[in-house]
Amino acid sequence: MLTIKNLKVSIEDKEILKGIDLEVKAGEVHAIMGPNGSGKSTLASVLAGREEYEVTDGSVEYQGEDLFEMEVDERAQAGIFLAFQYPVEIPGVSTSNFLKSTVNAVRKAQGKEELNAVQMLKLIREKIKMVGMNESLLQRSLNEGFSGGEKKRSEMLQMALLEPKLAILDETDSGLDIDALRIVADAVNQLRSEDRSFIIVTHYQRLLDYIVPDHVHVLYNGRIVKSGDKNLALELEEKGYDWLKKEAGSVPA
Amino acid sequence: MPTVVQDRYAEVKARFQQLFEAQQIQLNGHASHPYHQFRKEAMKRLEGLNFPTRRDEEWKYTSVNRVLQPEYQLETPVEVKAAQLQPFLIDGLDAIRLVFVNGAFREELSDIGKLPEGLTVMELDNALADERFGEMVQRQLDSLMEGQEDPFMVLNAAFARHGLFIHVARNTVVEKPVYLIHLAAPGEVPTFSSYLNIAFAEQSSEASFIEGLFELPGAEGAYFNNLVNRFRLKPNSHIHHYRLQQEGREGFLISNADIEQDGDSTYSSYAVDLGGRLVRNNLATTLNNQGTGTNFYGTYFAKGEQHIDNHTFIDHAMPHCQSNELYKGILTDKAHGVFNGKVLVRRDAQKTNAFQQNSSLVLSDKAQMDSKPQLEIFADDVRCSHGATIGQLDETAVFYLRSRGLSDEQARAMLQHAFLEEVIEFMKLEPVKDFAEQLIMKKFEE
Repeated sequence: MLTIKNLKVSIEDKEILKGIDLEVKAGEVHAIMGPNGSGKSTLASVLAGREEYEVTDGSVEYQGEDLFEMEVDERAQAGIFLAFQYPVEIPGVSTSNFLKSTVNAVRKAQGKEELNAVQMLKLIREKIKMVGMNESLLQRSLNEGFSGGEKKRSEMLQMALLEPKLAILDETDSGLDIDALRIVADAVNQLRSEDRSFIIVTHYQRLLDYIVPDHVHVLYNGRIVKSGDKNLALELEEKGYDWLKKEAGSVPA
Repeated sequence: MPTVVQDRYAEVKARFQQLFEAQQIQLNGHASHPYHQFRKEAMKRLEGLNFPTRRDEEWKYTSVNRVLQPEYQLETPVEVKAAQLQPFLIDGLDAIRLVFVNGAFREELSDIGKLPEGLTVMELDNALADERFGEMVQRQLDSLMEGQEDPFMVLNAAFARHGLFIHVARNTVVEKPVYLIHLAAPGEVPTFSSYLNIAFAEQSSEASFIEGLFELPGAEGAYFNNLVNRFRLKPNSHIHHYRLQQEGREGFLISNADIEQDGDSTYSSYAVDLGGRLVRNNLATTLNNQGTGTNFYGTYFAKGEQHIDNHTFIDHAMPHCQSNELYKGILTDKAHGVFNGKVLVRRDAQKTNAFQQNSSLVLSDKAQMDSKPQLEIFADDVRCSHGATIGQLDETAVFYLRSRGLSDEQARAMLQHAFLEEVIEFMKLEPVKDFAEQLIMKKFEE
């Protein structure tokens, strides 16, 4: 699904990612953890196609294609979904109009027939139930004035509607209370399938109580310093990041 | 050199004088009609006035040179078939339709039917001679001209032949809106058309007016529309005034709306400016008593070399009044936008709530926006705010939309549309709102 090799990324001449290698196979859930400033969000942003980051070395292949040759919208159309840490508020664009436009844009790009109004409504109703979002939010401007939890639900709703092949959750759980956290976890768990992969970027272990990852990687200072299974997350919860920082510090660069 | 400018305008004034005299000859026996007297006085007044130059603060960003240069002729009869009106009819809107072509009222294109009880629509000259309304109309005309120094207002008074008088009786809520279609049908010779409408809302009445300013499909050529609307709102009356403007490529439009509100009345303007080569709108209200509401909502979208200038003035003379003003627009190519919104809060106007905002998207290097929000406050217990922003699209929003599969173009169109939508949303009549949105959509596709 996704192969990252020796990825180095800078922003304003400061190297943030210093050589990342990661292989995500179809159906796998990878958790990326690490302290603040370790480069977690940079990794998510680069995969989604943010332009302010400069890729200085390495490669990323998505389904056998060079990801960096794909525009942001092409990535989305090819099945990559990024759940934003801070979803953007867009006044004047109603949530329902936005959802209709994106679903049909992606369907069209994938050679599927666009949905008519009735089919669309049915689909949106079905998915909105799944993420437990209030239907009245559909009539409101996208994310505008939404609470933190509502914004995350809105992201999960978009994910459910767009049915991505690779979903990247960028600290989607940060700042969520337990109910909202469960919503996110439920959405991911319901969407887990053999041909869909997830990269879950998180600062806190708590989300992984609800989403059991296949692999856990710890990012520190721009490198993956440790990989393991779900037990690594538990270990981190118990011991914090300091022991890893020391370990990483003792490894000659 | 000022003398040169004055000479040039003297020539322009002389041309208008000739036009006026030529028209007068056709009047035959009507020359003594009070309306004609009014027009003659206006023409005389014009002699003493100068057309503005960019040295005038109020015209700093808009030069009327281009508007005054052509040698205009007055309205020539043009054949227009009912089918040609089709693009301007509003789906789902049951309205009283009054159609003007090149300034002349066209009964055969209009759909007046039986007017609802309490609503009177008359041509101005008839109204002026009318037993019931004559005096009222005369007072409105007089107040329009009293101390009037705007040459375009005076010019309008001199030339408007087929203006309307619209009267809404006391305690009458007119459900059916009045839709005025002003159609420009330019030809080889530049045409000059003037409209003057006076709407009078009696105590506790309510009505909606929709003004549509369009160019006849297929027509092409230069023209100058000089428009004046006077709204007189008696206590506790409510007027909704929609203005959908899509003048032609070579159309010049100068429009003045003069509003006078008594206590507890509400006047709301919903303006959409999309067309015209050069457009200047003056929208001004005076508040006579307490408890009034004034809403000025405007959008503009200019491309190519269009120039759209909105000047507004809200005169808070009395306490406990509220005004909301929101103007938003998009400028691209070499288009030029101007916003000058003045809110005056006089010393007695305590407890005034006045909000004003102008925001523009300037989407190309050569497009220009001059925005001047002016708030002058002489009272000390008021809540007022004003602001202006000029900027580009929010790139984080573009990225967000693209990350959901929308193309760059789709994302930008969606955001631009949303930008204007915030203002369109205020429109109360759904069919008009939908129609305005369609006009804007078409403008995007241009």
